[in-house]
Amino acid sequence: MAQDFISNPQIQPVLAELETLRKKIVSKQTQGWGAIAFGILLLIIAVAYSAVIIGVVVGAAAIIPGVVILYKISDEGALYKSRFKHEIIGAALSSIDQNLTINPNNGIAEEEFKFSQLFTQEPDRYHTEDLITGKIDKTAFYFAEVHAEYKTETQGKNGRQTHWHDILKGIVFTADFNKNFNGITVIRPKDFGATLGAWFSKNVYSFGNKNVVELENDGFNKNFVVYSTDQIEARYILTPALMEKINDLNSRSAYTVSLSFIDSRTYIAFPLDHNYFEAPVFKSLLKPDLLKNDMAILGFMYDIVHELDLNTRIWTKQ
Amino acid sequence: MIIIAIIAILVLIFGISIYNSLISKKNQVANAFSGIDVMLKKRFDLLPNLVETVKQYTQYEGETLTKITELRGKALSTNATEGDKLALDQQIGTAVKGLMVSVENYPDLKANTNFLNLQTTWTESEEQIAAARRNYNATVTTYNNAVMMFPSNMFAGMLGYQTMPVLETASEERKNISAKELFNS
Repeated sequence: MAQDFISNPQIQPVLAELETLRKKIVSKQTQGWGAIAFGILLLIIAVAYSAVIIGVVVGAAAIIPGVVILYKISDEGALYKSRFKHEIIGAALSSIDQNLTINPNNGIAEEEFKFSQLFTQEPDRYHTEDLITGKIDKTAFYFAEVHAEYKTETQGKNGRQTHWHDILKGIVFTADFNKNFNGITVIRPKDFGATLGAWFSKNVYSFGNKNVVELENDGFNKNFVVYSTDQIEARYILTPALMEKINDLNSRSAYTVSLSFIDSRTYIAFPLDHNYFEAPVFKSLLKPDLLKNDMAILGFMYDIVHELDLNTRIWTKQ
Repeated sequence: MIIIAIIAILVLIFGISIYNSLISKKNQVANAFSGIDVMLKKRFDLLPNLVETVKQYTQYEGETLTKITELRGKALSTNATEGDKLALDQQIGTAVKGLMVSVENYPDLKANTNFLNLQTTWTESEEQIAAARRNYNATVTTYNNAVMMFPSNMFAGMLGYQTMPVLETASEERKNISAKELFNS
C-alpha cells in the first residue's frame, strides 16, 4: 500500500518540491552548526594560547552568523514539517479512506486522557499531537500520539533532582462502542502490582481491590487484569468473542495494550517506541520505504474497528 | 514477648479476614443469582409487547405465540424456582428464535420499527443473561475454591459450607453472536 501511494503521480511533484526544501534545510543547518562548531574551536585554541579577547572576538565572528543562519531556517523547517503532515500524511490517509483526516496541532486532550482511566497515575507533563479522525460505517473513531509523564523528586548530593517517568508514550485510540453501558470497565496489563492486588481481592477480605473481574479466558487472564464497577456489565462487554479479539490485537502490538470502556466508548492505549508521522530531515523523501512505518501504524489503527467488530449493531445502540 | 504478641495479633487478623472472605463469597453467590433473576425479569417483560406486535402482522403464528405466553406465565408464577425459570427461559428463547425465522415471511412486520426495536432489545437481553450466568459461574468457582483450599477450607468445614454446582453453559452462549445468523436466516 505504501509503495503504491508513493508512486502516485499526484504525490510525486509534492514530494519533489518538499525534497528540495528538505535539502535546503539540511544544507543551511550544516552551515549554521558548522559555523558554531568552528567558532567554539577558535575560542578554545585562543584560550589555550592565553589570547582570550582575540578568541572571543574571532569565535563570536563565526558563532553569531551560525546562530543567524539557524534562526532564519527554523521557520522553513517548521513549514516543511507542517506541509509534510498536511500534504503527504493527509494524502496517505485519503489513500486508505477518504473519511480520514489529520490535524497535527490537536490531539487527545489531557482531560480526556484522565477521563479514560486507562492509567491510574495522573500526568505531571502531557504532550499530544497528530489527531487523526475517521468514521467507518456507523463507528466514529479518532486517535492521536500522546506522551504522558509523571515526576519523582529525590534529594541528592547536588540538591533536589527531578526524574521524569513515562506513563504512556504511544498512541491512544478511541471509538464509539457498539453496546450501551453505564459503568466503567478497565483492562490493564498484568504487572506484579496488579497481580498481587487481584490475589488479595480474591483471597483476603477487606484487602485489595474489590472490583477485579475474573474472566474465563486463560490467554486473556495471562496478559490482563480487569476492573469494573459492575461485574455483569463487564461480562456483557467482554464476551468470549471480544476477549479473543483483544488477545489478537494485543499479540500484534509491541507492548501490552490497556483498554477502558467508559461512557459508551472504548479507549485503547498502545505504548510505542517510535514517533510517527514526522517529516524526515536527514533521509530522502524519495526513498520508496519513506512511509513504511507510518502506513503500517495507520493501517493497524484503521483495522481496529473491524478487528473488534464495532460495526456490528444488533443491540439497542445503533 | 512483644514479638509473640504481634505475631498472635497478625495471625488473628489474617484468620478473621479469611473467615469474613468466605462469608462474603457465599453472599456473592446469592447476589450473583439475583443478578440472573433481574435479567430474566427484564427479558420476560419484553414478551407481551413482542407477542402483540407479531400478532398484528401475522396469521399463522398463533400456536407459537400462545406457547410463548404460556411459558412466560409459568416463569413468572410464584411457584417457579430459579432452576425452573432458567429452563423456561431456554424454551422461550428457542420459541422466539423460531418466531424470528418465520418473520421472514412477513415483510411488513420486518419493516416495523417497534418490532425492530424489540428484536434488538431481545438480542441485548440474551447477551445480558449470558453475562449474568457467566458472572454467577465465576462467583461459584471462587466460592468453591475457597471451600476446598487451605486455609479457608478449615472455616468452611466448621460452617458446614459445601461446594455448589456451576450452571451449564448453553451451547448458544458458546457461539459468537452473528448478525447474519440472526437477521438473514
